[in-house]
Amino acid sequence: MIAPFFDRSSKRSLTSLGPLLLAVALALPGCGKGGKSGNEIRIGVVLPITGREAKPGQYQREGIELAIKQLNDAGGIMVQSKGKKLPIREIFYDDGSDQAKSANLVERAMSADEVTAVIGGYSTALGEAESVMPDRYQTPWITAGAAATHIFSRGYQYIFGALSSTDLLGYTTGDFLGSLVDSGKLKKNLAVALALENTDHGVEYGAGINRWIDEHPGYFHVVFNEKFDLGGTDFSGLLQKVKAAKADIFLVDAHLQDYITMERQYIQSGMHHQMLSYGARGPDADARKALGDATNYIFAGLWWSKKLPYPQAKKFVADYQAFAGHEPDSYYPGPAYDAMRALAAAIERAGTLDRTAIRDALRNLELKDSLLPGQTLHFGKNGQVANPFIIVQNKPGDKSDIVFPKDASTGDAVAPLPR
Amino acid sequence: MTAVDALNLLVSAVLLAGVYAAMSVGMTIIYGVMKIVNLAHAGFLMLGAYIVFELYTRFWIDPLLGILIEFPVFFLMGIAIHWLMIRRIPQSDTPTLASLLLLFGLWLVLQNLGYLIWGNSDRAILTPRTLSTLQVGPILLPTERLVVFGVAIASLAALELVLRRTWFGRAVRVLMQNSDSGRLVGVNVERTARLAFGVGVAFAGAAGGLLAMLYPFTPDFGGSFLLRAFVIIVLGGLESFAGVAVGALILALVETFSILAIPAGYQPAVSFSLLVLALVVLPEGIAGLWNKRQRWT
Amino acid sequence: MEQTAALDMKEDAAAGQPLLARMGSPAGFLVLLLAIAGFPLAQPGPNALRLVFITLVWISASVGWNILGGFAGQVSFGFAVFFGLGAYATALSLNAGMGRLAALLLGAAVSAAASALIGVPTFRLRGPYFAIATIGVSEAVRVVMTNLQFTGGASGYRVAEQGAFSQLLHYYIALAVAAVSIAVSTVLRRSKLGLALAAVREDEDAASDLGVNPFRSKLAAHALAAALTGAAGGVYCGYAAFIHPPGVFGFDISVAILLMPIVGGVGTLWGPVLGAIVYGFVHEELIASFPQFHLLLYGALLILIILFEPGGVMGALDKAVRFARVRSGSGRPS
Repeated sequence: MIAPFFDRSSKRSLTSLGPLLLAVALALPGCGKGGKSGNEIRIGVVLPITGREAKPGQYQREGIELAIKQLNDAGGIMVQSKGKKLPIREIFYDDGSDQAKSANLVERAMSADEVTAVIGGYSTALGEAESVMPDRYQTPWITAGAAATHIFSRGYQYIFGALSSTDLLGYTTGDFLGSLVDSGKLKKNLAVALALENTDHGVEYGAGINRWIDEHPGYFHVVFNEKFDLGGTDFSGLLQKVKAAKADIFLVDAHLQDYITMERQYIQSGMHHQMLSYGARGPDADARKALGDATNYIFAGLWWSKKLPYPQAKKFVADYQAFAGHEPDSYYPGPAYDAMRALAAAIERAGTLDRTAIRDALRNLELKDSLLPGQTLHFGKNGQVANPFIIVQNKPGDKSDIVFPKDASTGDAVAPLPR
Repeated sequence: MTAVDALNLLVSAVLLAGVYAAMSVGMTIIYGVMKIVNLAHAGFLMLGAYIVFELYTRFWIDPLLGILIEFPVFFLMGIAIHWLMIRRIPQSDTPTLASLLLLFGLWLVLQNLGYLIWGNSDRAILTPRTLSTLQVGPILLPTERLVVFGVAIASLAALELVLRRTWFGRAVRVLMQNSDSGRLVGVNVERTARLAFGVGVAFAGAAGGLLAMLYPFTPDFGGSFLLRAFVIIVLGGLESFAGVAVGALILALVETFSILAIPAGYQPAVSFSLLVLALVVLPEGIAGLWNKRQRWT
Repeated sequence: MEQTAALDMKEDAAAGQPLLARMGSPAGFLVLLLAIAGFPLAQPGPNALRLVFITLVWISASVGWNILGGFAGQVSFGFAVFFGLGAYATALSLNAGMGRLAALLLGAAVSAAASALIGVPTFRLRGPYFAIATIGVSEAVRVVMTNLQFTGGASGYRVAEQGAFSQLLHYYIALAVAAVSIAVSTVLRRSKLGLALAAVREDEDAASDLGVNPFRSKLAAHALAAALTGAAGGVYCGYAAFIHPPGVFGFDISVAILLMPIVGGVGTLWGPVLGAIVYGFVHEELIASFPQFHLLLYGALLILIILFEPGGVMGALDKAVRFARVRSGSGRPS
């Protein structure tokens, strides 16, 4: 029995006060940061900097803010209808990696803060939630952190994605492994084990790989395919099942936390495969710190890497280091930086701050000196880019190389993995 | 699956059980003596992990030594919290809503402090032991897990010793049975409660350090372990230490082996269902069953 | 004790009450309802409307929880399960072509049914055992929903937009559900079941000796509470148009739902409402302006309330009112 907790005499006088208080409270509506201002361009940025997705969110924020700074240093964006360059004002919200908050904050930015556009949505779940708002408020929205195709397959008209779909990530992984077979480094018809995190990301990654395998008979066959829940503490059982499947190649799709936990237990159980990947995780600095040499030779499919040999990519890396005080980690800041640049280019081409006109300009945009693999940023029909992925493989001594595709590579792939 | 594989899985489960037991002991002490469910336990686990991390990365103090250093620090922290907050809420022989919520609020505060101080990156402790494995015949024993297991067992043994041999231990055991009769035989309830809270928090901090040696962590690290601790102490019986060991073993076995039968995605549901089942079918836990048997014989 | 409660109720109905007391009556409630209904006419802008909308959703869930946690004294830490089930049931119904009202009712019904399934085994437990069990149940359901392909699993579930989006429509739906919740709560409190729940809350064994069936009373309270919370979830899913398991079944939702009545004043009629308002407004503004501190603030608030004013905001106000009365020499002690 719960000990008496509240004083029962605090009852009646308050039933009367209640409604009165309510009325008073409602007389104070919450206000946003609204208010007319014709002298600046307001861009909403909604990203997680606390919670699960905080690290990538922070990097994306830095990428966007670097772009804004560079644009503002040059005077801003030229808006024809105003006859002058207008500076950009960033309105930033932290959604705490929470889906409901994310949607709320995007709505708030679009309605109360009257932003011209919103960049945001790191991770597919947050992106999904946010993607409901752009069409409702007819405000363009660009995500540099959500890659699931089905966000872009709902017929929304105001959403854009600077990341190629995760499905393509899986498919490119197949391409890469297939190229190793073609060059003789791997034998034909190897067995593949798949362990996918139980999220959108994992599902699409698996779909992409399976699609490649189906379209290229004779190269590989899948002997194990299961999903696991995020944030696990013990993968012994899962790894046991993988061992029992006797696969040659082990492909996992995981978040950083699970990558670290699983890889540790993988090494501790003395497991080995000819090729090993954790999806889009591999060269992450935090993983290196946590796993040391265990990260050697793991490969990852990335949307972008600081090692890309393009001149504009090298310049970006230098600028970013000076701005943020550290190197870009994994792919996070690159696409975010380009998303902001694409938005700026679209605003300039539209010549006005009218959001629908900007949306149209985004649709027709071809950003020629893009940091993305392929060096051109162009949003597809459904709003999502389809730039190729790069495969990065960790090398001993804290190094990593881009090993696929050939024209972006900085080193050779090592396959099969040495014992 | 071969016999060797099954054996290795079993070993894995047992090692896990050791960690789980160490993690739950702190909560058990506090509940047993004061009938308070310490939801802030998760926060102390987290702090314990981060402090060991800081000691290791800044001062190169091995995590094991770090845990030893942490123990008295957390003990004092527990005493302070008891004095500041816990003693001000009504005490009772049955758990109160007030205590539940108070400690929950404390957990939220600790979590936020964690974010403010350390930010949101995944941290992990990498020692030379982390990736190495001992091989005993066909059995693989990951070194770090073995070490953690050893420390966990040692600390549980030390606790048992304290409970049996010291006046404090005796007072605790008396209070766990009935605080009024405790008063009658001259136990200083308030003082014992305060010390018990300190010990409970100390164990929580130390357990956090142990967990940090195995897993990566962020400020919301404690949550999933808190729920596991619930499962364990409910399974084992909220007031028995031997029960904690048994509960930890059961949970570890279920978690490790259930994946073989069901898709990995459903595995947490198994643990939670176990919790509910245990609460409903065995409200006094395994220890309760054992006691009943004792009464029958 | 029950006698005093009965006496209180009768006094309420007596004539010659001071102005404040009359405002607590149905007339006062109606005035308030009209005020909120008329609020959009003042052109406050979509952000303010969204704020009030989400607060109304929280009010329904908070009032619902209070029926079980406050009136019956059974503290559940797992009410997200009803919020989530209501949201998913409503979402599925809307996509299947059902009308909004029918979909909402279905959401409430599904939650109520689930509450019976959950309550039958768990109401045997008392106090924190019950609280812990509710956490286990809620989390287990969350994990199952994360794996259920039929509802989208981890990818979440999208509600198809039905025509152009009308913020006002959702606003009034939320208002209606909140009004119904408060009405149900008010009627329940003065009813026979309400008295039975109060008896169970104070001392379950004694109540049973007096002829009350605690098990049945708790189940009834659970069903009502779950239905209201499920309806709140249904209202939410209509607006958000996208739900996924961590978002509606998450432990943080359970925490929010129980935090509100506690902050406002658990067990009172208007406490949960006040708590929901405080939470709704503070939460939204906090998230926007001070994202790094919101946990700290809730935690500190909770600690302060428990240590110094367990009656929540209502308790604090009660003390203020009484102090004012004594000061003004009107004499009559409450």
